[in-house]
Amino acid sequence: MTPFETLLVGTLVLAICAIFAWPRKGLIARWRRAAERSARILVEDALKHLYDYEYRKIPSTLESLAGTLSISGDEAVKLISRLEGLRLVERRNLELRLTTGGRSYALRVIRLHRLWERYLADETNVREAEWHTEAELKEHAMTVDEANAIARKLGDPLYDPHGDPIPTVAGTLPSHQGIPLTSLKDNEVAAIVHVEDEPAAIYAQLVAVGLFPGMQVRMIGQSPDRVVFDAAGNEVILAPVVAANISVVMLPVEAVHEGPFLTLASLAIGERGMVTGLSPACRGTQRRRLMDLGVVPGTMIEAELRSPGGDPTAYRIRGATIALRQQQADLIYISEPTGTA
Amino acid sequence: MSTPKQSKHEQILSTANALRWEVGERLHDSTIESLYKEAERIAGRSVAVEGGRPRISFDRTLDRLVTSRVFGFPLMFLLLAIVFWITIEGANVPSRLLADFLVDFAHPFLKETGTSLGLPWWLNGFLFDGMYLAMAWVVSVMLPPMAIFFPLFTLLEDFGYLPRVAFNLDALFRRAGAHGKQALTMAMGYGCNAAAMISTRVIDSPRERLIAILTNNFALCNGRWPTQILVATIFIGALVPPHLAGAASALAVVGVVLIGIFFTFLVSWGLSRTVLRGEVSTFSLELPPYRPPRIWRTLYTSLIDRTAIVLWRAVIWAVPAGGVIWLVSNIHIGGESLAGLTIGFLDPVGILIGLNGVILLAYIIAIPANEIVIPTILMLTVLMTGSAEVGGGAGVMFELDSETATAAVLHAGGWTLLTGLNLMLFSLLHNPCSTTLYTIYKETGSARWTWVSALLPLAIAFIVCFFVAQIGRMAGMV
Amino acid sequence: MTTMNPQQCEVCPVNKDAKLVQLGLEAGNFDFVVALAGNPNVGKSTVFNSLTGLRQHTGNWPGKTVVRAEGAFSYDAKRYKLVDLPGTYSLLSTSTDEEVARDFILFGQPDVTVVVVDATRLERNLNLVLQVLEITEKAVVCLNLVDEAKRHGIVVEERVLMRDLGVPVIPTAARNNQGIPELLRAIAEVATGTFVCKPKRFPIESGALHKAIGKMTAKVQQAFPSLPNARWVALRLLEGDQRIVDAIRSGELGDLTRRSALEDSLTTGRKKKVYNEHSQAV
Repeated sequence: MTPFETLLVGTLVLAICAIFAWPRKGLIARWRRAAERSARILVEDALKHLYDYEYRKIPSTLESLAGTLSISGDEAVKLISRLEGLRLVERRNLELRLTTGGRSYALRVIRLHRLWERYLADETNVREAEWHTEAELKEHAMTVDEANAIARKLGDPLYDPHGDPIPTVAGTLPSHQGIPLTSLKDNEVAAIVHVEDEPAAIYAQLVAVGLFPGMQVRMIGQSPDRVVFDAAGNEVILAPVVAANISVVMLPVEAVHEGPFLTLASLAIGERGMVTGLSPACRGTQRRRLMDLGVVPGTMIEAELRSPGGDPTAYRIRGATIALRQQQADLIYISEPTGTA
Repeated sequence: MSTPKQSKHEQILSTANALRWEVGERLHDSTIESLYKEAERIAGRSVAVEGGRPRISFDRTLDRLVTSRVFGFPLMFLLLAIVFWITIEGANVPSRLLADFLVDFAHPFLKETGTSLGLPWWLNGFLFDGMYLAMAWVVSVMLPPMAIFFPLFTLLEDFGYLPRVAFNLDALFRRAGAHGKQALTMAMGYGCNAAAMISTRVIDSPRERLIAILTNNFALCNGRWPTQILVATIFIGALVPPHLAGAASALAVVGVVLIGIFFTFLVSWGLSRTVLRGEVSTFSLELPPYRPPRIWRTLYTSLIDRTAIVLWRAVIWAVPAGGVIWLVSNIHIGGESLAGLTIGFLDPVGILIGLNGVILLAYIIAIPANEIVIPTILMLTVLMTGSAEVGGGAGVMFELDSETATAAVLHAGGWTLLTGLNLMLFSLLHNPCSTTLYTIYKETGSARWTWVSALLPLAIAFIVCFFVAQIGRMAGMV
Repeated sequence: MTTMNPQQCEVCPVNKDAKLVQLGLEAGNFDFVVALAGNPNVGKSTVFNSLTGLRQHTGNWPGKTVVRAEGAFSYDAKRYKLVDLPGTYSLLSTSTDEEVARDFILFGQPDVTVVVVDATRLERNLNLVLQVLEITEKAVVCLNLVDEAKRHGIVVEERVLMRDLGVPVIPTAARNNQGIPELLRAIAEVATGTFVCKPKRFPIESGALHKAIGKMTAKVQQAFPSLPNARWVALRLLEGDQRIVDAIRSGELGDLTRRSALEDSLTTGRKKKVYNEHSQAV
């Protein structure tokens, strides 16, 4: 073989290896995922659907099931008979109902789903828009023990990052708090408690404008075709059907954050500002670490040095000099800066 | 345990669970806020500052200087260059002395003693030509630079300068999905990859720490510097007129280091976006106040610590490797030595990636210690070509005093410029030595990551060498 | 280093250091176990070294000691085992270091916990001190780097601090061995019970949480009457700390109360079993 031919063969072999073994996108990863999408997944998704409707107090039917799972009517009938055979579902006339066993199975799957979302949000760099889809896959692949180990690691969290409560091991789940965002009157202030993650298209919009539980909102105005409100200092305009997927609770007067939402990143070198709070988007390990370092409401912080690369910036925080990246400094709210430069 | 007691415990837990839904997830925040408020109150009562504000102007001025846009980077490179220069210059003499003593004097002496004690030739060879000699090489090549490099590094560390380096370089590492402190573990890796693995502990974010561990191998360690310099001198230096040879080979080595840095960033970037996407990632970097280093104490402790590590390593890893080297060259199967058989078997693979069977075998046996690669290659080449005028016989590792003599041996073994180039790349990119792998296993506690850190660089080394070989051959370099 | 004649030292009444014998890595039976906690980069390892005579590497770099180190010394004819815990900013998060430190202070039941603090940044260091005082009552605060503080014009009044915290506060400059004799005496006094600590516990501000914490604390107190840190356990339970949940479920926490009650009833000088579960940690 000439070197050129060898080169071609080598490149080809490499390319084939890559196509097969590339992490997450390679054929092997895909085949594995496809193999996991088994009958079990259909069963679990069906139970989740039935539980969801029960929770929202809407009767579920064969049609609603077929619609949600994107399967044909025939397949839905087959699926239901299977579920009945497993004694997970009962049929009353046209309405489908979960049995006690079916309900606890559904709660188990929901627990895995929400725990995994929380894990992705708190501990990883996976982007917000991908949490739900990743969890949809993971919920069927994880064992209960694995889920409990994750819960342990996260300190047995109560809520998922969308504000939904996570069912406990025993299967208890408190009812939803909050009212729809659209029910706020003009100029009323509330905090987001829940951002519905389905349907995916609407959720993607909510992620795109950067809304998440814990955020403070102030209603500016509503008309039949749009809802305008202020979310942590930014004006947001949404269609009413989209805005209805956000639930809020009213904030007591003393908890309302007044004034501009400035962040630590806006400090120039030599300027000082007092911390007023940490953004709810600062989660998990990152949040705990920052607080341990003394970034808590009331702390005076001075920007001291900027790295030659422009980022990170070193801040004087309670007597120590600590460098933070801009992306972190953006999550720390401060009051009006005072210059001492 | 009695039943009522059990239920008492469960009662507490169920109360806690019920209350948790009431309390919500604000508790941690409130606790820390209250703690700091109380700390502030207590500190306010007991701390008095003369003149109203603490005097921190010296630290601040120095910080402004070492992190400034103008002086920051030049100062950093200057300091690192000085450290490396002192290491390389300072290590030459003691290395030579140690080699003179351990290899040229003690080795023949031990062999003679063995013979006079009536040891059979194979035991004598196995013990002294194999095991002892490998240990002697490791000690004489590795000990002096380590004993100089690490104390210098430690002085910079004690002074408080190193966190500032991380601060300056973080922007680069952030783009590769890594932590600024990785700059320091890399710098440490130029001394010894195994020591660098331990130093990754300063990276407190699990994901960034794994990245630092998995890519540290691309920082050329002390055991590989001599290989690079020797091969560059023989093959690159020969390309240019003699008076430029020194500069050309130095440039080639610097080029290899830069390629290493390039691969560090590339692999860091790739890892942080694929397999390590799901690992925990946080960032914080404290810039501690400057403190005058206690020079004598530092020199003493770090000298003792490192010496102990090197000696331990020489005994644990190099001794068995030396034994294996001797055995493969002296055990014969059907008239051919085991080494010869293996080399014949490895040759096609070696040629494919621009190396040869001898080099591959040397790297396989030298997994425990990179320092013995060159002596092993020389010994095996002589063994294969059958030229008897140099070397100490089958299984006896050696080095030659003059580069010309070494070059003659290598050319006789069929080496070309392409072989040299690929050897430099392979030496840079291939898997870490077994001490490093063992340290990785101890640090990560995971067999999986240890395998990744061995196989990933090896795969990269094979791929890169393969392409360079084919392209080189197409361009007419034979 | 000073080169005084050891004989002179022993007769010199000022130098109580003469009672100190550095035992390095020696193993065996110990009368007391002392834990060494502190923020990263406050000279904790230096204090460790001057007490034990070991030479653990002390870098000017936060987070140098990751694995728990152990050493020993003998003071006033009593043998002490000294355990250097990883440097942490807090004991409330979930990182491995913090868990190792936290678990040792809680379940290892050291006779004394020495918290090394940086006099130049007292406020941020007190955060950890207050957390340690939540868990254990027997503590000594080692106010280190007073020389550096002085250089920066910072003066800490240790008497005020001592009154506010309720535990001994000893100013030291461990790099120069300054204050080490006084530190040793304080450790001995707390270990033998000559000095009884009355640590201050920080108030939790938020009104809504107050009720829940009160309720939980009462519940824990009722179940384990002799537990010295019921509120802390209550806080951990409300935060969902699984290690503490396990300790309650397995009865480990109950054992702690029984052990401390037992110890109270005994006089000093007994040989103690050394807690070893985490020596291979990290």
